[in-house]
Amino acid sequence: MSPESQQDFALAFLSILFEGAPFILFGTLVSGFIDIYLPPGTMDRFLPKNKTLAVMSAGLMGAVFPVCECAVVPVIRRLVKKGLPVSCAITYMLAAPIVNPITALSTWKAFQGQGAGMMTCSRLLLGFLIAVGVGLIVSRLSLRSILKPQLAEELENDAARSAAKEAKSHKPDHKHDGCCGHDHGDHHHHDHGDCGHDHGAPQDNRLVAAFRSALKDFVDVGVYFSIGVAITALFNTGIAPGAEWLDGLAQNPYQAPAALMVLAFILSLCSTSDAFIAATLHKFSWGAKLAFLTFGPMMDVKLIFLYQTVMRRRFILFLAIGIFLAIGGISIFWQNLLLSSMK
Amino acid sequence: MKPTLRRILFSLAVLLWSGVLLYFHASGRINVYLAPDFRPIALVGGLGLAVLGLFNLFTAGQSADCGHDHEGADAEGHDHEASDLPPLTAFLLMVVPVALSVAWTKDEYSANALTSKGLYDAPADFNAPFLAASLPPFTREDIEKSQPKTDDGFYKFNLMELFFAAGDREMQKALDGLKVETEGRWIDEIQRNPNGTRKRLYRLFITCCAADSRPIPIVLEFGKTPPEMPENGWVRVAGVMTFPTEEGILQPVLQVERALAAEPPYEESFMRE
Repeated sequence: MSPESQQDFALAFLSILFEGAPFILFGTLVSGFIDIYLPPGTMDRFLPKNKTLAVMSAGLMGAVFPVCECAVVPVIRRLVKKGLPVSCAITYMLAAPIVNPITALSTWKAFQGQGAGMMTCSRLLLGFLIAVGVGLIVSRLSLRSILKPQLAEELENDAARSAAKEAKSHKPDHKHDGCCGHDHGDHHHHDHGDCGHDHGAPQDNRLVAAFRSALKDFVDVGVYFSIGVAITALFNTGIAPGAEWLDGLAQNPYQAPAALMVLAFILSLCSTSDAFIAATLHKFSWGAKLAFLTFGPMMDVKLIFLYQTVMRRRFILFLAIGIFLAIGGISIFWQNLLLSSMK
Repeated sequence: MKPTLRRILFSLAVLLWSGVLLYFHASGRINVYLAPDFRPIALVGGLGLAVLGLFNLFTAGQSADCGHDHEGADAEGHDHEASDLPPLTAFLLMVVPVALSVAWTKDEYSANALTSKGLYDAPADFNAPFLAASLPPFTREDIEKSQPKTDDGFYKFNLMELFFAAGDREMQKALDGLKVETEGRWIDEIQRNPNGTRKRLYRLFITCCAADSRPIPIVLEFGKTPPEMPENGWVRVAGVMTFPTEEGILQPVLQVERALAAEPPYEESFMRE
């Protein structure tokens, strides 16, 4: 790499790192504290029992707990380990960076004078629909076909252990209070060996454990983020080849959304701010911008690396192709529908 | 690797990130990298990372109880600190790119990167309606009434206004033939410059961070060999604003009457908001 390329890479790399690191920290702190303080199965209780309704509710959770795509991966890693169904976790992971008030506000603000209300509503609706669609498909797949083998094995072991404990817990002398996640009555006897929680653990020790868990999560996510940002910086500054052909595709109604989704994939922008970039891409159609704004927060270079901390590579590949086709198709259809209604 | 050593390594990696964030913030260099609304977030992030790193460093050898049952055959699968990568590999991947970038950065892009980001694109290729809409509408009368003026009679404009005038007929009409002064960075003109009488003046426009920045340029026409100035150095230029169509492209061209080296402004780039 020439000294000039080094200088360009460094500026782009550090700027994206400075922008993203605080959000990763936020996500990993949340995940660390969820790990230690949130009893297993808690999330389950907030979701409807019906599988479809549960997935749809997960698609709206970002409205209550807004996180960007950098922060959401460590959070869902932890939530999955805490018993949130994988279908709901993936729905939340895909929807939360888009279906949240911060992203809605930034999109609305950036698209002033370009149909801001329509773009904001379309983005949130499309993001929600795609995430729920993926969630419903995932709910029919086996854990091992989605998650990394080690994580799937952990979950299966946890499920087996929970089942065994459930059977044991119904012995007449075993009583829990509400914080165990399952209330067996008003008795005060507490069998720590079986319930899975040490209720006598000193709080400061649990704080140390929470910070350790957050540190481990930050390093896990930070490593992949660092690799993703490095690749993004190479493309962003023109060191990597391939940027010029994008402009040549802008006028083609079918290739333009694909081109902008590729651009979103390469740029790896934060969902809270990508609308400000999209609004400046005047060569491209409205539908292409919608595709950019929906695909980017769900799949980009850095997310590919982050997703690998949770999911199998093959599943990530199918997910990427699936949402690329779905978002591209719906964006083109939606734009044509709007244009014909305006005539 | 022993858990204590692993915790120390990871804490040091996090502290390096924290140190870099806090150093760039404290030195003011963060201004080149992030838009204003992201800077306090970066500061909080740097402080948060310092807390995370220091807490884990000082408690690395302490035993901790997570409050869960780790006994039995499942203990292996219930390790809150098991990592995806070997600890030393993870440490190096966290530290090396950041350390290299800090060593390599000059807080500005090279001419090659600026070219790939659109330094020499036609102004029409950067038609940002939401930005143009945020600029106040004005006529020649408005300018004469409210625009600040230099002692020698040049109206002070920022480069953004001159650049966007190329895509806005109303602004063009108001500015065409007007004596204006502006400032920006000095760089070679490589297009439509057969006699070597031109330079280009640009500033970056940042939406969120330097990675998404785009150059906002105008052409400087001297009518003779331009004066010697350091490439990418800051200059203040004054002259008559024109908008000629050259090879089918409408260009904002300043017919320069004077050009002097200048101090960089506090915000070197144009920022969203």
